[in-house]
Amino acid sequence: MTITHHPADDTLLRHATGALNAGLALVVEAHLTGCPQCRARVAGFEALGGALMEAEKLEPLAPAAFAEVLARLDEPPPVTTAPHVPRRAMLHLPPGMKLPDVLAGCDIGRWLWFGPGVRYSQVRLPWAPEANVMLLRVAANRGVVTHSHALHELTQILHGGYSDCTGSYGPGDMAEGDELLLHQPRADAEGCLCLAALEGGLRLGGWLGRLQRRLGQ
Amino acid sequence: MSAVDQPSPLDAAAQARLIGLVAAARDRQAFAALFKHFAPRLKAFHLRAGLSGGAAEELAQETMLMLWRKAESFDPARAGAATWVYTITRNLRIDQARRQRGPAPQLPEEEFSPSPEAITLESEQAARMREALAVLSGEQRRVIELSFFSDTPHAAIAQVLNLPLGTVKSRIRLALVRLRDALGAD
Repeated sequence: MTITHHPADDTLLRHATGALNAGLALVVEAHLTGCPQCRARVAGFEALGGALMEAEKLEPLAPAAFAEVLARLDEPPPVTTAPHVPRRAMLHLPPGMKLPDVLAGCDIGRWLWFGPGVRYSQVRLPWAPEANVMLLRVAANRGVVTHSHALHELTQILHGGYSDCTGSYGPGDMAEGDELLLHQPRADAEGCLCLAALEGGLRLGGWLGRLQRRLGQ
Repeated sequence: MSAVDQPSPLDAAAQARLIGLVAAARDRQAFAALFKHFAPRLKAFHLRAGLSGGAAEELAQETMLMLWRKAESFDPARAGAATWVYTITRNLRIDQARRQRGPAPQLPEEEFSPSPEAITLESEQAARMREALAVLSGEQRRVIELSFFSDTPHAAIAQVLNLPLGTVKSRIRLALVRLRDALGAD
Protein backbone atom coordinates (compact mmCIF):
# COMPACT_ATOMS: atom_id res chain seq x y z
CA MET A 1 0.00 0.00 0.00
CA THR A 2 1.61 3.22 -1.14
CA ILE A 3 0.31 6.31 0.55
CA THR A 4 0.52 9.42 -1.57
CA HIS A 5 -1.91 11.78 0.15
CA HIS A 6 -1.26 12.71 3.78
CA PRO A 7 -2.98 15.04 6.25
CA ALA A 8 -1.64 18.59 6.18
CA ASP A 9 0.94 19.58 8.79
CA ASP A 10 -1.63 21.92 10.34
CA THR A 11 -3.96 18.99 10.86
CA LEU A 12 -1.26 16.77 12.38
CA LEU A 13 -0.20 19.64 14.65
CA ARG A 14 -3.77 20.16 15.82
CA HIS A 15 -4.06 16.42 16.43
CA ALA A 16 -0.88 16.50 18.55
CA THR A 17 -2.19 19.43 20.60
CA GLY A 18 -5.55 17.75 21.20
CA ALA A 19 -7.44 20.50 19.37
CA LEU A 20 -9.22 18.34 16.77
CA ASN A 21 -12.75 17.31 17.62
CA ALA A 22 -13.30 13.64 18.45
CA GLY A 23 -14.53 12.73 14.96
CA LEU A 24 -11.64 14.31 13.06
CA ALA A 25 -9.20 12.85 15.60
CA LEU A 26 -10.61 9.36 14.98
CA VAL A 27 -10.12 9.66 11.22
CA VAL A 28 -6.56 10.96 11.72
CA GLU A 29 -5.91 7.96 13.99
CA ALA A 30 -7.16 5.66 11.22
CA HIS A 31 -4.60 7.25 8.90
CA LEU A 32 -1.78 7.11 11.45
CA THR A 33 -2.29 3.38 11.99
CA GLY A 34 -1.15 2.76 8.42
CA CYS A 35 1.29 5.63 7.95
CA PRO A 36 4.68 5.54 9.74
CA GLN A 37 5.65 8.84 8.13
CA CYS A 38 2.73 10.76 9.70
CA ARG A 39 3.21 8.92 13.01
CA ALA A 40 6.79 10.25 13.07
CA ARG A 41 5.49 13.71 12.28
CA VAL A 42 2.95 13.63 15.11
CA ALA A 43 5.67 12.31 17.45
CA GLY A 44 7.75 15.33 16.43
CA PHE A 45 4.90 17.71 17.26
CA GLU A 46 4.39 15.98 20.60
CA ALA A 47 8.11 16.43 21.28
CA LEU A 48 7.54 20.11 20.52
CA GLY A 49 4.77 20.13 23.13
CA GLY A 50 7.16 18.47 25.59
CA ALA A 51 9.85 21.05 24.81
CA LEU A 52 7.41 23.94 25.31
CA MET A 53 6.31 22.49 28.64
CA GLU A 54 9.96 22.05 29.70
CA ALA A 55 10.61 25.68 28.81
CA GLU A 56 7.79 26.93 31.06
CA LYS A 57 8.60 29.00 34.07
CA LEU A 58 7.80 27.34 37.39
CA GLU A 59 4.32 28.03 38.73
CA PRO A 60 4.28 27.00 42.39
CA LEU A 61 1.57 24.58 43.46
CA ALA A 62 -0.42 24.86 46.67
CA PRO A 63 1.78 23.94 49.66
CA ALA A 64 -0.23 20.77 50.33
CA ALA A 65 -0.27 19.61 46.69
CA PHE A 66 2.54 17.10 46.94
CA ALA A 67 1.19 15.59 50.18
CA GLU A 68 -2.25 15.28 48.57
CA VAL A 69 -0.87 13.42 45.58
CA LEU A 70 1.31 11.21 47.79
CA ALA A 71 -1.75 10.26 49.80
CA ARG A 72 -3.49 9.13 46.62
CA LEU A 73 -0.66 7.01 45.19
CA ASP A 74 -1.94 3.81 46.76
CA GLU A 75 -5.55 4.40 45.81
CA PRO A 76 -6.75 1.89 43.27
CA PRO A 77 -7.26 3.53 39.87
CA PRO A 78 -10.84 4.71 39.38
CA VAL A 79 -13.19 1.91 38.38
CA THR A 80 -14.00 2.29 34.74
CA THR A 81 -17.65 1.92 33.91
CA ALA A 82 -18.71 -1.23 32.11
CA PRO A 83 -17.28 -1.09 28.60
CA HIS A 84 -19.68 -0.05 25.91
CA VAL A 85 -20.80 -2.98 23.78
CA PRO A 86 -20.83 -1.58 20.27
CA ARG A 87 -23.90 -2.07 18.13
CA ARG A 88 -22.86 -2.83 14.60
CA ALA A 89 -24.97 -3.42 11.54
CA MET A 90 -24.01 -6.07 9.02
CA LEU A 91 -22.28 -3.99 6.39
CA HIS A 92 -21.36 -6.65 3.81
CA LEU A 93 -17.94 -5.17 3.24
CA PRO A 94 -15.98 -5.95 0.08
CA PRO A 95 -14.23 -9.35 0.35
CA GLY A 96 -11.00 -9.15 2.34
CA MET A 97 -11.75 -5.69 3.68
CA LYS A 98 -11.55 -5.01 7.40
CA LEU A 99 -12.69 -1.90 9.22
CA PRO A 100 -9.89 0.03 10.95
CA ASP A 101 -9.16 -0.93 14.57
CA VAL A 102 -9.92 2.61 15.75
CA LEU A 103 -13.62 1.89 15.08
CA ALA A 104 -13.60 -1.01 17.57
CA GLY A 105 -15.59 0.84 20.26
CA CYS A 106 -18.01 2.61 17.90
CA ASP A 107 -21.62 1.91 16.98
CA ILE A 108 -21.97 1.49 13.24
CA GLY A 109 -25.30 1.89 11.51
CA ARG A 110 -26.62 0.13 8.43
CA TRP A 111 -26.09 1.49 4.93
CA LEU A 112 -28.56 4.19 4.05
CA TRP A 113 -29.32 5.44 0.59
CA PHE A 114 -27.82 8.79 -0.05
CA GLY A 115 -28.02 9.27 -3.76
CA PRO A 116 -27.53 7.22 -6.91
CA GLY A 117 -24.64 4.84 -6.21
CA VAL A 118 -23.88 6.52 -2.86
CA ARG A 119 -24.59 5.06 0.58
CA TYR A 120 -23.55 6.09 4.04
CA SER A 121 -23.49 4.48 7.45
CA GLN A 122 -23.46 6.57 10.56
CA VAL A 123 -20.64 5.96 13.04
CA ARG A 124 -21.36 6.88 16.63
CA LEU A 125 -18.55 7.45 19.11
CA PRO A 126 -19.84 6.53 22.58
CA TRP A 127 -17.29 8.91 24.14
CA ALA A 128 -18.37 11.78 21.87
CA PRO A 129 -21.95 11.22 20.66
CA GLU A 130 -22.04 14.64 19.01
CA ALA A 131 -19.22 13.75 16.60
CA ASN A 132 -20.17 13.65 12.95
CA VAL A 133 -18.50 10.54 11.50
CA MET A 134 -19.64 8.20 8.75
CA LEU A 135 -18.61 5.47 6.41
CA LEU A 136 -19.27 6.43 2.82
CA ARG A 137 -19.52 4.01 -0.06
CA VAL A 138 -19.59 4.97 -3.72
CA ALA A 139 -20.33 2.28 -6.30
CA ALA A 140 -17.82 1.34 -8.99
CA ASN A 141 -17.22 4.02 -11.61
CA ARG A 142 -19.86 6.25 -10.10
CA GLY A 143 -19.38 9.96 -9.92
CA VAL A 144 -20.58 12.16 -7.13
CA VAL A 145 -22.11 15.44 -8.24
CA THR A 146 -19.94 18.52 -7.95
CA HIS A 147 -19.96 19.80 -4.42
CA SER A 148 -18.03 21.93 -2.02
CA HIS A 149 -17.43 21.59 1.70
CA ALA A 150 -18.67 23.91 4.41
CA LEU A 151 -16.03 23.15 7.01
CA HIS A 152 -12.91 21.14 7.59
CA GLU A 153 -13.55 17.58 6.46
CA LEU A 154 -11.23 14.57 6.57
CA THR A 155 -11.70 11.42 4.49
CA GLN A 156 -9.58 8.31 4.90
CA ILE A 157 -9.77 5.84 2.01
CA LEU A 158 -10.32 2.29 3.31
CA HIS A 159 -10.95 0.37 0.11
CA GLY A 160 -10.94 1.06 -3.62
CA GLY A 161 -10.39 4.67 -4.52
CA TYR A 162 -11.48 7.73 -6.42
CA SER A 163 -10.11 10.52 -8.54
CA ASP A 164 -10.94 14.20 -8.71
CA CYS A 165 -9.28 17.44 -9.78
CA THR A 166 -6.75 17.11 -6.92
CA GLY A 167 -5.51 13.64 -7.86
CA SER A 168 -6.13 9.93 -7.39
CA TYR A 169 -6.77 8.51 -3.95
CA GLY A 170 -6.31 4.89 -2.90
CA PRO A 171 -6.37 2.83 0.29
CA GLY A 172 -4.42 4.52 3.10
CA ASP A 173 -4.69 7.98 1.54
CA MET A 174 -6.33 10.87 3.30
CA ALA A 175 -8.21 13.64 1.56
CA GLU A 176 -8.81 17.00 3.20
CA GLY A 177 -11.58 19.29 2.12
CA ASP A 178 -12.68 22.74 3.16
CA GLU A 179 -14.80 25.57 1.86
CA LEU A 180 -12.30 26.21 -0.93
CA LEU A 181 -12.46 22.74 -2.46
CA LEU A 182 -15.03 22.27 -5.17
CA HIS A 183 -14.75 18.82 -6.66
CA GLN A 184 -16.47 16.04 -8.52
CA PRO A 185 -15.02 12.74 -7.29
CA ARG A 186 -15.37 9.62 -9.44
CA ALA A 187 -14.94 6.17 -7.89
CA ASP A 188 -12.52 3.62 -9.35
CA ALA A 189 -13.56 0.31 -10.92
CA GLU A 190 -13.56 -1.23 -7.44
CA GLY A 191 -15.76 1.49 -6.03
CA CYS A 192 -14.70 3.50 -3.01
CA LEU A 193 -15.25 2.99 0.68
CA CYS A 194 -14.03 5.64 3.09
CA LEU A 195 -14.29 6.96 6.62
CA ALA A 196 -15.15 10.64 6.86
CA ALA A 197 -15.56 13.20 9.61
CA LEU A 198 -16.62 16.82 9.65
CA GLU A 199 -15.77 19.70 11.88
CA GLY A 200 -18.66 20.77 14.04
CA GLY A 201 -21.50 18.75 15.46
CA LEU A 202 -23.98 19.21 12.64
CA ARG A 203 -25.86 16.19 11.44
CA LEU A 204 -26.35 16.08 7.73
CA GLY A 205 -25.41 19.70 7.62
CA GLY A 206 -22.47 21.04 5.69
CA TRP A 207 -21.60 19.45 2.40
CA LEU A 208 -23.72 16.37 2.99
CA GLY A 209 -26.79 18.50 3.43
CA ARG A 210 -26.02 20.50 0.36
CA LEU A 211 -25.21 17.36 -1.58
CA GLN A 212 -28.51 15.90 -0.53
CA ARG A 213 -30.39 19.01 -1.54
CA ARG A 214 -28.72 19.02 -4.92
CA LEU A 215 -29.51 15.37 -5.46
CA GLY A 216 -33.11 16.12 -4.59
CA GLN A 217 -33.34 18.76 -7.28
CA MET B 1 27.13 21.22 31.08
CA SER B 2 27.01 24.10 33.51
CA ALA B 3 24.24 24.86 35.94
CA VAL B 4 23.74 28.24 34.28
CA ASP B 5 23.01 26.72 30.86
CA GLN B 6 20.69 24.22 32.43
CA PRO B 7 17.91 25.97 34.30
CA SER B 8 16.12 22.65 34.62
CA PRO B 9 17.46 20.64 37.52
CA LEU B 10 16.65 17.39 35.70
CA ASP B 11 17.90 16.70 32.20
CA ALA B 12 16.09 14.32 29.88
CA ALA B 13 18.26 11.34 30.78
CA ALA B 14 17.68 11.90 34.51
CA GLN B 15 13.93 12.20 33.93
CA ALA B 16 13.88 8.90 32.04
CA ARG B 17 15.95 7.18 34.72
CA LEU B 18 13.61 8.39 37.50
CA ILE B 19 10.49 7.27 35.62
CA GLY B 20 12.21 3.90 35.21
CA LEU B 21 12.70 3.75 39.01
CA VAL B 22 9.02 4.52 39.60
CA ALA B 23 8.07 1.77 37.15
CA ALA B 24 10.48 -0.82 38.51
CA ALA B 25 10.38 -0.15 42.25
CA ARG B 26 7.53 2.28 43.01
CA ASP B 27 10.32 4.56 44.19
CA ARG B 28 8.74 7.50 46.04
CA GLN B 29 11.94 9.51 46.19
CA ALA B 30 12.20 9.31 42.43
CA PHE B 31 8.55 10.36 42.21
CA ALA B 32 9.21 13.33 44.51
CA ALA B 33 12.00 14.54 42.24
CA LEU B 34 9.77 14.14 39.18
CA PHE B 35 6.94 15.98 40.94
CA LYS B 36 9.25 18.85 41.85
CA HIS B 37 10.37 19.12 38.25
CA PHE B 38 7.18 18.57 36.28
CA ALA B 39 4.26 19.73 38.45
CA PRO B 40 5.10 23.47 38.45
CA ARG B 41 5.75 23.37 34.68
CA LEU B 42 2.49 21.54 34.05
CA LYS B 43 0.59 24.10 36.08
CA ALA B 44 2.24 26.98 34.18
CA PHE B 45 1.51 25.22 30.87
CA HIS B 46 -2.20 24.87 31.62
CA LEU B 47 -2.47 28.38 33.05
CA ARG B 48 -1.09 29.67 29.78
CA ALA B 49 -3.62 27.53 27.91
CA GLY B 50 -6.34 29.52 29.66
CA LEU B 51 -7.30 27.27 32.54
CA SER B 52 -8.08 28.83 35.93
CA GLY B 53 -5.51 28.48 38.71
CA GLY B 54 -7.58 25.78 40.38
CA ALA B 55 -8.12 23.78 37.19
CA ALA B 56 -4.45 24.06 36.18
CA GLU B 57 -3.37 22.90 39.61
CA GLU B 58 -5.77 19.96 39.53
CA LEU B 59 -4.65 18.91 36.06
CA ALA B 60 -0.99 19.11 37.15
CA GLN B 61 -1.78 16.85 40.12
CA GLU B 62 -3.81 14.39 38.03
CA THR B 63 -1.00 14.23 35.48
CA MET B 64 1.52 13.35 38.19
CA LEU B 65 -0.82 10.69 39.57
CA MET B 66 -1.17 9.24 36.08
CA LEU B 67 2.62 9.31 35.68
CA TRP B 68 2.83 7.15 38.82
CA ARG B 69 0.21 4.70 37.55
CA LYS B 70 1.43 4.46 33.97
CA ALA B 71 5.19 4.61 34.54
CA GLU B 72 5.54 1.06 33.14
CA SER B 73 4.25 2.19 29.78
CA PHE B 74 6.98 4.82 29.36
CA ASP B 75 9.33 3.70 26.62
CA PRO B 76 12.35 5.97 26.23
CA ALA B 77 12.97 4.50 22.80
CA ARG B 78 9.69 5.99 21.57
CA ALA B 79 9.55 9.39 23.24
CA GLY B 80 11.45 11.57 25.66
CA ALA B 81 10.19 11.89 29.22
CA ALA B 82 8.89 15.44 28.76
CA THR B 83 7.12 14.39 25.56
CA TRP B 84 5.52 11.45 27.34
CA VAL B 85 4.36 13.67 30.23
CA TYR B 86 3.02 16.14 27.67
CA THR B 87 0.91 13.42 26.00
CA ILE B 88 -0.45 12.31 29.40
CA THR B 89 -1.54 15.81 30.33
CA ARG B 90 -2.95 16.47 26.85
CA ASN B 91 -5.05 13.30 27.02
CA LEU B 92 -6.32 14.18 30.48
CA ARG B 93 -7.34 17.60 29.23
CA ILE B 94 -9.16 16.08 26.22
CA ASP B 95 -10.94 13.64 28.55
CA GLN B 96 -11.96 16.44 30.85
CA ALA B 97 -13.23 18.55 27.99
CA ARG B 98 -15.31 15.71 26.63
CA ARG B 99 -16.61 14.52 30.00
CA GLN B 100 -16.13 11.26 28.26
CA ARG B 101 -18.64 8.48 28.68
CA GLY B 102 -16.43 5.67 27.50
CA PRO B 103 -12.78 4.94 26.95
CA ALA B 104 -11.22 6.45 23.87
CA PRO B 105 -9.65 3.97 21.46
CA GLN B 106 -6.01 3.42 22.17
CA LEU B 107 -3.39 2.08 19.89
CA PRO B 108 -1.73 -1.00 21.35
CA GLU B 109 1.27 -0.06 23.42
CA GLU B 110 4.51 -1.60 22.34
CA GLU B 111 6.68 -3.39 24.84
CA PHE B 112 8.68 -1.47 27.37
CA SER B 113 12.29 -1.80 26.24
CA PRO B 114 14.49 0.96 27.60
CA SER B 115 18.11 1.09 26.64
CA PRO B 116 20.81 3.63 27.49
CA GLU B 117 21.29 4.30 23.78
CA ALA B 118 17.63 5.12 23.36
CA ILE B 119 17.74 7.48 26.31
CA THR B 120 20.76 9.25 24.84
CA LEU B 121 19.00 9.55 21.49
CA GLU B 122 15.97 11.06 23.13
CA SER B 123 18.07 13.55 25.08
CA GLU B 124 19.61 14.61 21.79
CA GLN B 125 16.19 15.03 20.23
CA ALA B 126 15.05 17.18 23.15
CA ALA B 127 18.16 19.33 22.78
CA ARG B 128 17.57 19.68 19.02
CA MET B 129 13.99 20.72 19.75
CA ARG B 130 15.14 23.46 22.14
CA GLU B 131 17.61 24.71 19.53
CA ALA B 132 14.94 24.66 16.85
CA LEU B 133 12.59 26.70 19.02
CA ALA B 134 15.39 29.21 19.52
CA VAL B 135 15.76 29.86 15.77
CA LEU B 136 12.11 30.83 15.35
CA SER B 137 11.33 34.50 15.14
CA GLY B 138 9.33 35.99 17.97
CA GLU B 139 6.09 35.98 16.01
CA GLN B 140 6.63 32.45 14.70
CA ARG B 141 7.28 31.17 18.18
CA ARG B 142 4.16 32.98 19.35
CA VAL B 143 1.86 31.23 16.84
CA ILE B 144 3.41 27.84 17.63
CA GLU B 145 2.96 28.42 21.35
CA LEU B 146 -0.60 29.52 20.83
CA SER B 147 -1.24 26.36 18.79
CA PHE B 148 -0.44 24.42 21.93
CA PHE B 149 -2.15 26.80 24.30
CA SER B 150 -5.60 27.23 22.83
CA ASP B 151 -8.36 24.76 22.08
CA THR B 152 -9.35 26.09 18.70
CA PRO B 153 -5.91 27.22 17.68
CA HIS B 154 -6.27 29.02 14.40
CA ALA B 155 -9.41 30.97 15.09
CA ALA B 156 -8.36 31.71 18.67
CA ILE B 157 -4.88 32.76 17.59
CA ALA B 158 -6.28 35.06 14.96
CA GLN B 159 -8.46 36.65 17.62
CA VAL B 160 -5.70 37.00 20.20
CA LEU B 161 -3.22 38.49 17.73
CA ASN B 162 -5.88 40.46 15.92
CA LEU B 163 -4.74 39.05 12.57
CA PRO B 164 -6.66 37.60 9.62
CA LEU B 165 -7.01 33.81 9.80
CA GLY B 166 -5.04 33.41 6.55
CA THR B 167 -2.05 35.27 8.01
CA VAL B 168 -2.08 33.06 11.07
CA LYS B 169 -2.21 29.92 8.94
CA SER B 170 0.70 31.01 6.77
CA ARG B 171 2.74 32.00 9.84
CA ILE B 172 2.20 28.58 11.33
CA ARG B 173 3.17 26.97 8.05
CA LEU B 174 6.40 29.02 7.89
CA ALA B 175 7.25 28.22 11.49
CA LEU B 176 6.67 24.52 10.82
CA VAL B 177 8.99 24.63 7.81
CA ARG B 178 11.72 26.08 10.02
CA LEU B 179 11.12 23.36 12.60
CA ARG B 180 11.11 20.59 10.01
CA ASP B 181 14.72 19.53 10.53
CA ALA B 182 14.33 19.20 14.27
CA LEU B 183 11.05 17.35 13.91
CA GLY B 184 12.68 14.51 11.98
CA ALA B 185 10.82 12.49 9.36
CA ASP B 186 11.22 13.20 5.69
